[in-house]
Amino acid sequence: MREDNEKELPAAPEGRIVVPAGGLRLPASPRPPVINAWSLSLVGAVAVLVFLCAVWPDPYLDILAFVPGGLLITFEVTILSICCAVPLGLLTGLGRLSRSRVINLIASTYVEVIRGIPLLVQIFYIYYALAMFLQVSSLTSAVVAISFCYGAYMGEVFRAGIMAVPKGQNEASRSLGFNRFQTMIHVILPQALRTILPPVGNECIAMLKDTSLVSVMAMPDLMQHGRSFAAKTYLYFETYTVIALIYLIITLLLSKAVNLMESRLDYYEKRK
Amino acid sequence: MKSENSSAPIIHIEHVWKYFGELPALQDVSLDVYAGQRVVIIGPSGSGKSTLLRSINRLEEIDVGLISVDGIDINAPHSDINKIRQNLGMVFQQFNLFPHKTVLQNVTMAPRKLRGVPRAEAEERALMLLAKVGISDKANVYPAMLSGGQQQRVAIARALAMQPELMLFDEPTSALDPEMVGEVLDVMVNLARDGMTMICVTHEMGFARTMADRVVFMDKGQILEQGTPAEIFGSPRHPRLQQFLSQVL
Repeated sequence: MREDNEKELPAAPEGRIVVPAGGLRLPASPRPPVINAWSLSLVGAVAVLVFLCAVWPDPYLDILAFVPGGLLITFEVTILSICCAVPLGLLTGLGRLSRSRVINLIASTYVEVIRGIPLLVQIFYIYYALAMFLQVSSLTSAVVAISFCYGAYMGEVFRAGIMAVPKGQNEASRSLGFNRFQTMIHVILPQALRTILPPVGNECIAMLKDTSLVSVMAMPDLMQHGRSFAAKTYLYFETYTVIALIYLIITLLLSKAVNLMESRLDYYEKRK
Repeated sequence: MKSENSSAPIIHIEHVWKYFGELPALQDVSLDVYAGQRVVIIGPSGSGKSTLLRSINRLEEIDVGLISVDGIDINAPHSDINKIRQNLGMVFQQFNLFPHKTVLQNVTMAPRKLRGVPRAEAEERALMLLAKVGISDKANVYPAMLSGGQQQRVAIARALAMQPELMLFDEPTSALDPEMVGEVLDVMVNLARDGMTMICVTHEMGFARTMADRVVFMDKGQILEQGTPAEIFGSPRHPRLQQFLSQVL
């Protein structure tokens, strides 16, 4: 790539330093090594799981039997929470950047308060606080609690991503006659997305892991299935081994998906 | 020059003051620009040239004074600044193209979204503008693949797409490699020949000398001297201007 750039440029006059248009950068390794932390973890986790089931089918296959049902609930809570937390995060991020004192204060206070309370406490609190006023399912309160918590964290991610877009972009858009809202929608957010997506993806993965906390409200998610199975059979070690491996495999796959999405978003930065 | 006495000015700047904290960036600046005029603002860096230019479309808010565009006070609360800005094309030192849009999309975006021009029509016009600035072959690439000079020419086309009455150039060639300055200046010269009204902040004295109707010299936030290029470059009166010219020429 750098060689191409150098070819395009006229020869440097003597005594003048010409930096190729692509900038000076380290050459990327031609192809990523096959053995890396990610592949090692994934292959390891799958191998251990297969090994355990093959050698001791008695407890392990029984444990695996409840995994699909539990996973379904885990995914349900995760996806619903993502659907609520991402818009909430966007609103919070915009609120934190708002010029209006009041909106800014509301958003900042929300972030400050939520960040100061452990998620487990929030889940308990929202479950019992909501129950005092209205009858809600444990699914609803789980989704509300997780969304509120992660909305605050994502708010900071959105804020940082929006602030990372160069000021000139805003000026160029405004000078063409776009108002603040149009500038945000057409110019700032599409560019911020690229910085925002990887951390938001990671937050979503963290969210999936944290849904294990909703098992305290007797939500029949993966963790709760494991807990009740272990309580019945006293096979604590075996059960939690499988649960840990399942969570690990899923988060590894999802983090790969986030990586792939990230590289797709680079489309417009590529020079030829 | 052309219509100085026949009609009202497009831009009317009257006793403008602007502070950055304690520091006065503009001190009692007054300037009128008439249709068809080409005004070039010169001066050392930090003299308030860019601030003055950016005040005209309210990218900077002034503290005291009046700036009106076509007789409308741009800082009045009821003025629709977005509407006014559509009439003032602006070109920046750092180009500021939208990197996530192709060249063609950069140029068609404002007319389509702000004026509701149908896509086909906007693209046809954009291709015409791109041909005018000499890069119609790059219509479908992203800005990152263009050189600085090409990007700046696209930025000029983008500003022209809104068919502005006036163009503001904020040091359009200062961020360019020396060998790319010419291609951008050529575009600006062509624009000037077409009769576009423009206000240009630049360090390109050659451009000021040949293309300007009026050259304005600023220092420390004040307009110290203004006149035709012949007056400014031929017989500068203010000692600060004489000193400045002896350094840059």
